[in-house]
Amino acid sequence: MMVQGAAVTAAPYTAAGLGPGVDSRRRMLQYHFLFEQMVRRELRQKYKGSALGVLWYLVNPIVLMGAYALVFSVLLRVADVPDYPLFLLVGLIVWVFFAQALLAAAPSLVANAALIRRVRFPREAIPASVATVQLVTFLVMLALVTPVALAVRGTLGPALALLPVIVALLFCLVLGLSLAASVLHAHFRDVEPVLAAALLPWFFLTPIFLPIEDMPGASEHPLLRDALQWGNPIAPFVVAVRDVLFAGSAPTLGHMGYLAAIGIGALAIGVELFRRMEGELAVVL
Amino acid sequence: MSGDDRASGAVAAPGEVVLERASRAFALRHERSRTLKEAALGRARAGRSWRSSARALDAVDLRIAPGEAVGVIGRNGAGKTSTLRCLAGIVPLDSGRAECGGRTVSLIELGAGFHDDFTGRENIYLNGALHGFDRTQMEARMEAIVEFSELGAFIDAPVKAYSSGMQLRLGFSIVAQLDADVMLIDEVLAVGDESFQRKCLARISERINDGATLVLVSHDPMAIERICRRVVVLEHGAVVFDGPVVAGLLFYHSLLGTERGASRSLRPADGSASEPGRIELTELDLRDADGASRRAFRPGEALRVELALRCATPTQRAVAALEVRDQRGERCFRTVATIGAVAGVVEVTFDVPRLALLGGDYDLAAGVFDQDAPPGALLDRVARFSVAPTGDGEGVADLRGRWSVRGRAQPAGEPVTESRAAEPDPRTPPARTARP
Repeated sequence: MMVQGAAVTAAPYTAAGLGPGVDSRRRMLQYHFLFEQMVRRELRQKYKGSALGVLWYLVNPIVLMGAYALVFSVLLRVADVPDYPLFLLVGLIVWVFFAQALLAAAPSLVANAALIRRVRFPREAIPASVATVQLVTFLVMLALVTPVALAVRGTLGPALALLPVIVALLFCLVLGLSLAASVLHAHFRDVEPVLAAALLPWFFLTPIFLPIEDMPGASEHPLLRDALQWGNPIAPFVVAVRDVLFAGSAPTLGHMGYLAAIGIGALAIGVELFRRMEGELAVVL
Repeated sequence: MSGDDRASGAVAAPGEVVLERASRAFALRHERSRTLKEAALGRARAGRSWRSSARALDAVDLRIAPGEAVGVIGRNGAGKTSTLRCLAGIVPLDSGRAECGGRTVSLIELGAGFHDDFTGRENIYLNGALHGFDRTQMEARMEAIVEFSELGAFIDAPVKAYSSGMQLRLGFSIVAQLDADVMLIDEVLAVGDESFQRKCLARISERINDGATLVLVSHDPMAIERICRRVVVLEHGAVVFDGPVVAGLLFYHSLLGTERGASRSLRPADGSASEPGRIELTELDLRDADGASRRAFRPGEALRVELALRCATPTQRAVAALEVRDQRGERCFRTVATIGAVAGVVEVTFDVPRLALLGGDYDLAAGVFDQDAPPGALLDRVARFSVAPTGDGEGVADLRGRWSVRGRAQPAGEPVTESRAAEPDPRTPPARTARP
């Protein structure tokens, strides 16, 4: 269901003054098969020749989880959170999805220059399929982590019903940023290195290690705290997923509204930016 | 911005191709992409007025009706491929309108977007998807594509194992079987072996007969001559000729000639004549046994081709060529004769005692030229004639064979009744090249 959502949102294909004005809905149906083929292609490329395949994507967050648990819980002893490794893991899978999708989407148009220069098709299918493949890996991880969290934390409850909504909005955010990053990188080739450099500090500014309220300095700097919590688009998603899976509590209505605003807003900006900048793709690539 | 110059109302009918005041410029820069620094310093674009830009298309007007086959020729950098890319919607126009009605497939550059790790079959799906087909549509066409490509077992091998010829086969097979309303094909036919090329040409002709439109960009005048009835010559992004193929190729030839003039002087002067005579075919006529000019003949009739050529400056090595083509543009017969020294006006005839063609319409193309002239694109006059259909035989050549059956007593199955005398196989020209 989520995957189809991606096809829908990726569909508004504008022909920049060219071609018959097929309305976007028909075009979306027409190119549904293309989207499927692109996803298949991405999956093939990603797991080409690897024995563990999709499982490799679990290794990354689990290794990170082990290292951070050791540092923050055992050595520094700043984290006073029960089941701390699980707390870390829930935040990490959200972050890894976000970061990996952006890093993979940014160079995707450049990598497919040969296709773009030869055939006309909705180019958003390329970054959208990259983001979708990352979504699939994320969902696999979520499917593995959720039962563990439910068992360990006893968080099975009505709040869980919000998880699909949160994930859908998270995907909107990721898809919007992927569209923007890919088309910007095609025009300005420094986008990917900038992104790669920004993601590491961004990671540390995201409340993954500790709930932001628990950070010792947070109460002294309320402004900074609020900026980190609400100014960072991925932070509210990390917090919301953790609320549901780890604490078993539903995010507030305001929180959910904010997620919706971020997700839909990012998607709208990404789609619009892509629409404006895709025309020259065959020229700049 | 580019999104604003939308189609001005009228939508092209399926198979129709329209360019209206189409203009497109490209920046002349070494690096094709900007960096953020350049953009931040504001050096890059102001509107789209690049500091130095080349006009690839300069207010081009072109209208192609459904079912037409149009060749686009021109020198390197004349805007041929840009025209195709704009038509395909791959590159947007700066101003004007470009539109292809109905479903459009493009075959631009070799290996049109194959994925190396995918098998041929998977690439067929991917390519079909890129052109907007869905799974069921592709499954319906799969067998035809595989068969046309002649790739056999290779179809299930990854494309990275293919030779460039095999990639071409696959690429062309897909485009040929996608039954689009408009086919945009760039150059690629030049690759591949002779027999596959012929098969491609035949397939394209078939598609055109079915009402598809073809825009073919090529450097190869022979390919264009065979398929296209109309030629557009581009020069510096503008249409400098738009008309019948033969006249167009001649025009193109003269364009090239201006370039070649310079290189000719580099050659050691052969004899006294520094500039070989320019020979002109002034007359082409078909006559029957009584000497009357005619355009309709019956099989077996006598036919005489009369040529008149004029040569302003005397030449030693005049050559005349005749070619008969069927409706699909396939060559049925070609003959070249050395005429030798020519000065002033000369009349040349080619006598056919018994016309060995079967019923149908044919084009007789003729040309005269100096032996040193480059091959191809030289048949600058065409006369169309028709041959009345007769009862027996299909194809182009009338072999005049006779059936006879012996041992009629036992009905040995189904006797062969159909005359297979005239398979339209261009590989075996029906008549010998004659040298009058």
